Amino acid sequence: MSAEVEKFIIEALQNMNYDVSDVTGETPLGPAGLDLESLSVAEIAIQVEDTYGVKFEEDEMETVALLSVSGLVKEIVERASAAATAG
Amino acid sequence: MTHRSTDAGAVITGLGTFTPLGRGAAETFDALCHGKSGLRRPPTGHPLDGSVDVAGIAPDIEAREVLPPSEGRLVDRYALMALAAADDALADAGLVVGRDVDPHRVAVIVSSGAGGLSTYEEQALARAQRGPTAVSPYLLPGMLPNMAAARIAIKHGIRGWSSAIATACAAGAHAVAEAARLIRYGEADVVVCGGAEAPLNPTSALAFAHARALAHGWGDDPEAASRPFDRRRNGFVLAEGAGVLVVERVGHADARGAAGYADLLGWGATTDAYRPTAPRPDGDGAAHSMRGALAKSGLSPQDVGYINAHGTATKLGDVAETKAVRAVFGDHAPAISSTKSMTGHLLGGSGAVEAAISALAISRGVLPPTHNLDEVDPDCELDHVRGEARAQRVEAAISNSFAFGGHNVSLLLSTASSRKKR
Repeated sequence: MSAEVEKFIIEALQNMNYDVSDVTGETPLGPAGLDLESLSVAEIAIQVEDTYGVKFEEDEMETVALLSVSGLVKEIVERASAAATAG
Repeated sequence: MTHRSTDAGAVITGLGTFTPLGRGAAETFDALCHGKSGLRRPPTGHPLDGSVDVAGIAPDIEAREVLPPSEGRLVDRYALMALAAADDALADAGLVVGRDVDPHRVAVIVSSGAGGLSTYEEQALARAQRGPTAVSPYLLPGMLPNMAAARIAIKHGIRGWSSAIATACAAGAHAVAEAARLIRYGEADVVVCGGAEAPLNPTSALAFAHARALAHGWGDDPEAASRPFDRRRNGFVLAEGAGVLVVERVGHADARGAAGYADLLGWGATTDAYRPTAPRPDGDGAAHSMRGALAKSGLSPQDVGYINAHGTATKLGDVAETKAVRAVFGDHAPAISSTKSMTGHLLGGSGAVEAAISALAISRGVLPPTHNLDEVDPDCELDHVRGEARAQRVEAAISNSFAFGGHNVSLLLSTASSRKKR
């Protein structure tokens, strides 16, 4: 699932007009990398919720913004499988 | 003339318009003077196709033409058109904020009647179809009515006063009046001011149509639909666009060698306090607005050579404005025309576009005509410029804007007092 989620994240970034040509799993979402503004992080969160049913709470958004692309993918995959197990 | 502007007066040094007649104030003015109409049937695939049979549709514009790629998401067309007009006005003034003027001495007041309703409509429909997660966090910074001003400030590094004044069809004129005030009171050396509107979505169009405000029955001849002061007029034509002016302290313009189109000498603003959508039938609110502009400028009625009318082509509005003009100017009313006959009604964008047109009328010595004014309504008899443009030097001009809500604004422009003139 990780590869699919990573592809989804990169496509979402591309749709937001971020230059993703050099983006890898290691690229930070924050200032050292993509430098996403808070609304971009929020937009990704809402798209993730829409597609994978995984929700990030408001107080988690700052932590999310500090992740790398793979870090975010890992979070999504873990939460999705936790939800599937619970469900 | 009883009054001359001083070093502390306000002069217009840059113009930008984005209208159904195209991009560029000079091009738009030339088109108006040649009686060219920007009105047409919405083409297949346009959001208004099937809702109205005529509209004023401005050129296409993509976010990437006016904003960096990552900032253009969901930015409504009203803000994009405002950004284009502001870019053009600043370029026309030859002014770079930070290079030619202290960013803290620059203000931006760019208004809109309703902001980005088309984007809101799209998101509301998406929510209804796809559920809560269809709503983007980018919606608000894309559509709020202050966002044209804010994004112009961000793009050009403007750090002084900024605001947006949401007074419907007087919004653009209110912004220009406020600009004159900021200059007059020493709050800024340069004000980027104007208005923008992008109302061509089905919900807005149907609301105006159901209010019986829109011209109807002109599907076979869309260019004939907007006919201010004409006996056969039956409403306005909904249009979109933006107008932005660079207004500068005369002393500041002179110090950097900038040329002025016209001075912004006076303004009047009143309120009808009558009905939400109908003007006072006697035009009293409008008359007081024009008198206010004259008083502020120190001019006499006979100094005014041209009025760019609000003139939307509604039955009530045109008659009320005619009465107001007669009340203020008596039997010697100045030449008058309504350029909405060719642009349509840009709502919150109209006042700024028409202030730009008035500035060009003064600087060029040419008065654009009212198109389609074939037979003047007997209740609207005035010195109408019609048929073709009139070559006439005028010392001063008034641009009127009246709005739903009863807001009235009259701007008074006069020949530029900067050393260099356009």
